Amino acid sequence: MGKRITIDPVTRIEGHLKIEIEIENGKVKDAWSSGTMARGFEALLLGRDPRDASYVTSRFCGVCFSVHQMASARALDAAFGAKVPWGGTLLRNLVMGAEYIYDHMVHFYHLSALDYLDIMAIAKYTGKDPELNKVRDKIVSLIQRGDTFPLTPRYEPDEFCVKDPDVVISAVKHYLDALQMQIKAKNMGVIFGGRAPHYQSIVVGGVTMFPDINQVARFHSMLDELATFVNEVYIPDVISFGMGPLLPLARAGLGGGHQNYLCCGAFEMDEVGSKLLFQPGVIVGLNPVEIKIKPFNPQKITESVHSSWYKKESKPKHPYDGTQVFDLERKDAYTFVKAPRYNNLPMEVGPLARAFVDKDATLLGLVKDYGVKSGVVARHAARAIETKKIVDAMYYWCDELTAAMVKPGFKIHDTEHWDPPAEGEGTGFFEPPRGCLGHWIRIKDKKIANYQAIVPSTWNASPRDERGIRGQYEESLIGVPVPDPENPINVVRVIRSFDPCLACAIHLIDPKTNGVRKFLVE
Amino acid sequence: MSEIFKGVTRRDFLKYCTAVAATLGISELFTFEKIVHALETASKKPPVIWLEGQDCAGCTISLISIADPTPASLILDKISIRYHETIMVAAGHQAEKAREETIKDGGYVLIVEGSIPAADDRYCMVAGKSFRATVKETAEKAAVIIAAGACSSFGGIPKATPSKGIPVKELLPGKTVINLSTCPVHMDHLVGTIVYFLVAKKAPPLDKLRRPLIYFSQTVHENCRRRGHFDADEYLTNWNDPAQREWCLLQKGCKGPDTYADCTIRRWNNGINSCIDCGAPCQGCAEPGFYGEMSPLYAEGPVTEKIRAKKAAGLIPRKEDA
Repeated sequence: MGKRITIDPVTRIEGHLKIEIEIENGKVKDAWSSGTMARGFEALLLGRDPRDASYVTSRFCGVCFSVHQMASARALDAAFGAKVPWGGTLLRNLVMGAEYIYDHMVHFYHLSALDYLDIMAIAKYTGKDPELNKVRDKIVSLIQRGDTFPLTPRYEPDEFCVKDPDVVISAVKHYLDALQMQIKAKNMGVIFGGRAPHYQSIVVGGVTMFPDINQVARFHSMLDELATFVNEVYIPDVISFGMGPLLPLARAGLGGGHQNYLCCGAFEMDEVGSKLLFQPGVIVGLNPVEIKIKPFNPQKITESVHSSWYKKESKPKHPYDGTQVFDLERKDAYTFVKAPRYNNLPMEVGPLARAFVDKDATLLGLVKDYGVKSGVVARHAARAIETKKIVDAMYYWCDELTAAMVKPGFKIHDTEHWDPPAEGEGTGFFEPPRGCLGHWIRIKDKKIANYQAIVPSTWNASPRDERGIRGQYEESLIGVPVPDPENPINVVRVIRSFDPCLACAIHLIDPKTNGVRKFLVE
Repeated sequence: MSEIFKGVTRRDFLKYCTAVAATLGISELFTFEKIVHALETASKKPPVIWLEGQDCAGCTISLISIADPTPASLILDKISIRYHETIMVAAGHQAEKAREETIKDGGYVLIVEGSIPAADDRYCMVAGKSFRATVKETAEKAAVIIAAGACSSFGGIPKATPSKGIPVKELLPGKTVINLSTCPVHMDHLVGTIVYFLVAKKAPPLDKLRRPLIYFSQTVHENCRRRGHFDADEYLTNWNDPAQREWCLLQKGCKGPDTYADCTIRRWNNGINSCIDCGAPCQGCAEPGFYGEMSPLYAEGPVTEKIRAKKAAGLIPRKEDA
């Protein structure tokens, strides 16, 4: 039996996550990923007007805000028989594109980068750059005053932490610049989204925001500024770190895990939806030299509650049939996160999955030229690479929008299908920054009869299933070096590389029974 | 100038104070010089503990969406964030230790995001502790407690779920709690309230729901640009129709006449847009009934009936009479 350690809370992620690991001979031998907060959104939605769903589910998460609004609206579109006009689709795509840019930058600079930097090395900067000296003076003044929160305390920097003062100070400067750019990205999205976090404009049938040409011009101008930052700062930072000081981590494939990938496809590139920015597909057991893509079939998705605090079921169920009831007494369970499986297999979803399924030339170039393997560094690289893809697509959507707006009869909403149908069901898939997202709705008597969502972090953070197969976070930790149990910095590096979002991952409860067990508290 | 603002030019500093005054909307309450003086003479950065319970981190993201003062100046220059799960570098035991040590010293600003599950403590456990215990323990020596967002102010969305989220005030009946109740918290409301407390050393004047009057004394309707169309019974039914673009959103489920918040004058995200301005109805997110009592969100419902009855009784003044 190795040494067991617990990291709770895992910080700089969204939500409440506990990671337990067993260490033997300086390496992780086993791992348990545990989501420790639940609200229970579905009970709330049952019996409501179906149109409420897009607004309410947006509140699953305020970091990847409104991705659920989007998936939910798509499920409602399907259930209502609504056909979103091209103008509505373009506006939805543009606000979601803005969300991507903000989210990916925040993840890299503000949630992850400090795991790779010895920030105190800044004090040793002796260069002449006036901007960098301002950053140095700022950090030095914090140290002098003995108040370096929230930058400390921290895990001790290890051999993979960059200590070169010139590099560290540039990175911290970019951390501060990115803090400004993420505001810009949200402000841009708000032009058509209404406010952020939690956009207001996406509803069943399209959007509520009828744009004018000045707003498009303003959006375009802000996009220019963000594109410059993405292309000249964010991508070069990720690539120079990943292929420079972190190359040994990249080549070792730290945090690779199962190497099964799933992408459900997203972002229409034409009016009929025949072309998507992200292609759907599934990869089982990645071979980067010869990637085999299988078609994505939503019918193959099931969810297991084998290791989760819900009432036990005889077998995993398809989301339409899911009937989960909290059971906090189960001793064999350790998390509120359920275990989604595709064809009985755990999957990784997110930027790396999208890149492999797309056979992205830039990422495969890093694999070929630098020997990068699937894992932590590849995940950060895939995220940066796809940010450019999104930015380029956003220029195209802006052009398409302007062209559509000047034509007579420009539409943003399908008003014919605004009222809820008596009966119906619909599925809405989307690819938010963190990966494959599906919402399922069933309508009866014009009200919500059942509602289910399987979200990206549920895929990635899932626990063991009936067959004892670990989820992707857990599997990714196996073999990760932890030379000092007091300083498990590699563990948080692996977990943060997925960009966890636990509030999203846990939202379920069975509405029919309202079956929460009562307990005496305190 | 005190050491706190070392490296900041006088010009930068005065610019910051102007932004603070504007954010607060308190020029009549405090002279500009007084704000400058109070911030200059602060001997050390005030410690802040930010707890997340049954939340979505949306209020955190809202905080870092404010353009002036910048998030960097807030985090590095103005306040000392001792504990914040989403922001802090520390994890696990280190993080908890930082919180415990700050509690020992007392005198910190406590900000709570998210509700506390009343149905069972196990619906929200952090560091092996119930969120209920953590809030109680952390509130003990707090100088002020700010409930950021609908969930911690009134229970918000979790209130109507089986986990039964309750607000901070319900857990701490004897404590001074300031409710900033929109969903998510408005970035200006939060930053303004923090600065107000640092300057005045007390909570701003509150309404009976413990919300600062400077932000919550008028209805969304009173300052709505669509108000004239409400008076004229012109209601938007089709978002595609250019003729209806500025019409009232009541038939789309707007709760503006029954909701107290300054969204229609302040707007959101540095003044760029707002719910009403993007053609979406106000959903009453600042009110205690949110979300349960606001449903249906996009159709006429019980709230609409109440608004129509008030209108018929002449209780909602016409724009021209206001």
